[in-house]
Amino acid sequence: MLELALGIILGGCAVGAGLAMIAGIGPGIGEGNAVAKACEAIGRQPESKGDVTSTMITGCIIAETTGLYGLVIAILLIFVAPRQFVNILMENIGK
Amino acid sequence: MKIDKTVKQETLYIAVWTAALSVLMQAVFLIIRKWDYTVLLGNLLGGVTAVGNTLLLGLMVQKAVKQDEKAAKKTVQLSQSGRLMAQGLLLVLAAVLPFFNLWAAAIPLLFPRMAIVARRFLADKRKDAVVSLDEDDDEEDDEFDEEGGGAS
Repeated sequence: MLELALGIILGGCAVGAGLAMIAGIGPGIGEGNAVAKACEAIGRQPESKGDVTSTMITGCIIAETTGLYGLVIAILLIFVAPRQFVNILMENIGK
Repeated sequence: MKIDKTVKQETLYIAVWTAALSVLMQAVFLIIRKWDYTVLLGNLLGGVTAVGNTLLLGLMVQKAVKQDEKAAKKTVQLSQSGRLMAQGLLLVLAAVLPFFNLWAAAIPLLFPRMAIVARRFLADKRKDAVVSLDEDDDEEDDEFDEEGGGAS
């Protein structure tokens, strides 16, 4: 029974980490579209290159943090959460 | 490859804010009595990764805006997945190696966003201040006009 509980904990954490990493797909697509439009804008108005680049970097940082949230959650689910859950389980078994 | 002036400015701005927020984070760890050398090393790892990521992002944007739309899209997507994987690897290192604190390494990765939000907030404040100064000037002008403008 204990082995089953441990298996569920580890499996749940692994599945959760995998699901959290889905958040990494969106920023890549979004950034790609944004930069493509920026290229179009610079092609139309070459004098605005500095402003567009600055805005692009800012926008890309904001977009990328969304993926980073997912990454951080996934790492925590793999390396931190299982230990915590197992500790909680052991405490409850001890009672 | 020559680094563009805009990229240098943005990276410097992010680096300054990351350093400031890192000091704040160290102070918080000290206050909650969880500070040890692993927090400092983790913070260094996370901070350098965050600033390096911004620099690489800037270089990628600099390269991408010179290309045509389709090539730029591919460059950005490839670069984003590469950088995300590199950051994931660094976080795994911080989790596995005993001389890095995982929290102290993970939190600085979110500092660039805080820096951008702070800039927007400060810009809004500055704009409000300029608007209120203009309104004060207009009121003074109106009073001056009501008094006869001093001319007649």
